[in-house]
Amino acid sequence: MTTAAVELDPREPELIETGGSHRARHVAVLVGVPVIAVVGALAIGAVLIAQEGENPFAVYADVFRGVFTENRGLRNTATSATPLLLMGLGLAIAYRARLFTIGAEGQYVLGAVMATAFATAHGVRDLPGVVLIPSCIVIAGLTGMVWSGISAELSNRFNTSVVISSLLLTYIATAVMQWLIRVGIKDPDGFVPQSRVIGNAGLPTVPLLNTHLGFVIAVALVPIAAVMMSRTRFGYRVDVIGHNPIALRANEVATGKMLFAVLGIVGFLSGLAGYIQVAGVTTRINAQFSLGYGFTAIIVALLGRLHPVGVLVAALGISGLNIGFDAAERSHDVPSSLVAVVQALLIIFVVIGDAVANRFLRDDD
Amino acid sequence: MDVVLSIGTLTAGLRLALPVALAALGAMISERAGVLNLGIEGLMISGALAGYLTTHHLGSPWLGLLAGLLVGAACGALLSGALVSLGANQIVTGLAFTLLALSATSYLYQRSFSIGQNPPRIDRISMPPLVVLTLVVLTIVIVVMRKTLAGLVISAAGESPVSADALGFDVQRVRHLTTVAGSSLAALGGAVLVCGPLGLFIQNVTAGRGWVALALVVFAGWRPLPCVLGAFLFGLCDAVQLRIQGTSTGIPYEVFLALPYAVTLVALVIRGRNSRTPSALGVPFDRRLA
Repeated sequence: MTTAAVELDPREPELIETGGSHRARHVAVLVGVPVIAVVGALAIGAVLIAQEGENPFAVYADVFRGVFTENRGLRNTATSATPLLLMGLGLAIAYRARLFTIGAEGQYVLGAVMATAFATAHGVRDLPGVVLIPSCIVIAGLTGMVWSGISAELSNRFNTSVVISSLLLTYIATAVMQWLIRVGIKDPDGFVPQSRVIGNAGLPTVPLLNTHLGFVIAVALVPIAAVMMSRTRFGYRVDVIGHNPIALRANEVATGKMLFAVLGIVGFLSGLAGYIQVAGVTTRINAQFSLGYGFTAIIVALLGRLHPVGVLVAALGISGLNIGFDAAERSHDVPSSLVAVVQALLIIFVVIGDAVANRFLRDDD
Repeated sequence: MDVVLSIGTLTAGLRLALPVALAALGAMISERAGVLNLGIEGLMISGALAGYLTTHHLGSPWLGLLAGLLVGAACGALLSGALVSLGANQIVTGLAFTLLALSATSYLYQRSFSIGQNPPRIDRISMPPLVVLTLVVLTIVIVVMRKTLAGLVISAAGESPVSADALGFDVQRVRHLTTVAGSSLAALGGAVLVCGPLGLFIQNVTAGRGWVALALVVFAGWRPLPCVLGAFLFGLCDAVQLRIQGTSTGIPYEVFLALPYAVTLVALVIRGRNSRTPSALGVPFDRRLA
């Protein structure tokens, strides 16, 4: 399964349309499909809730309250959106280049554990946060970058599918993390495998917003990514790779280097997301550290239509669903896995909706 | 290294290999027809849950296997509707299906057994019949792919759908059939995992084996027998990992946790440059554009 066969076909339905003569219609599809998907997924969610003998409207009202009126609801939504947003931004860029990496989870875990290993090392852990935080950001980012870069290297040299290699690398990353917290950087006072508390490398809380600094960093990256994608040569080339890589090669742009750059960005942001999660939320790494954010970020990127602003909206929305359902579970009898089903339905409907719209538009032309 | 060579490890390796072998065969036949089915992991876990619940309620693990097969066919029909009829992006669709299947099986499993309750063990099928089953499937796949017109048409649909269409073969129908058949096999693999010697379902019981199966197809160069041999290699690594976890050796057990995936990755690299890739793999076919 070479990705080349997938990438080189000009007829394949487009995930995202840029420009073209039917701009208004494309915008309608771009925004309309996710809206319909949200309604559809919530409707099926409502049926499932009714199956539990609960009133769907009461549950959804509590989901809403859990986010908007409950103490810390908004704060928690912002905090748990942070890793999704960071990884979603990277994945959005990669998917626009049609590089369907699914290895963000591994880069996230490895970035987190490497930054923690550094920040809790003997002699280092007493350094002030001003030194530790930037160093950790660089270490986590570079770790993720290298891990993701392996997929790029394998694809360039051996034509290995990025989809498969990035996922296999995730399992290896998880094993590395497990060894590190069991042996390598184990907290000597802990009874279970876990790292020391990250201490001085912890992220400060931003006044007024009341969230950790990571959320601000992630949101600040949204306009940067948007400008990069729409106004720079790099962003243009990413889109060209996605649509017609032969055109790039014909113009003597090294597509191999583009592969490194794009997957490197994914890796950097995913590793960074891992560190921010430790430093802002969990304070240490234990066996339960990974919650599959790297996979949820795929939903976020696709739901956000591979556009940075869309990714921001999608990250907040998906995270709001998590926080809201958490709150609703306390007063209603719904299984905790229901929210994951609703989220997965969302993305299924977007994919199907796009395919239907594509057929439809093509028929018209 | 005597742990590696013991009979126990070899049987455990075989046991772990069978589900992956079936899933790899399933993934292979739809890829030969040009359909990249990234829903294999999701199909395996769906088949596993179907097999488990059916065996639990009806008492017969053979009915469990049948249920797995049928659920796979049903999911395969949905998938091929999206992949073949609608021509949806094959990578994103398969990924989305897998995410849905993982969450939906957790949900259904959570609904079936209350929290804290130990999920009951089910009746199990012993190894020999499962080995025979896998060999029968392998033989059928080899014979169909190499000795029949159907096999030739499948390859044609994957290599040059336009030519196949010009010769009067219904490319879409071939792709529908192979996607449904392949999905059924993948789900059967999941059911074999649960109704076999394991006799238990836990969340995420497939643990990425569907993805390994997809990697094996590349490793095997889209040929049936190497698919099964590759699965055995993977199973062997997995078995060594499980054995060594209990014993205290100088090597940390995490090495063996990563080993099956690392071996698969290395195998992918070795087999990576490969001209056997079906030319039209991942490309939807549309007569109007042909």
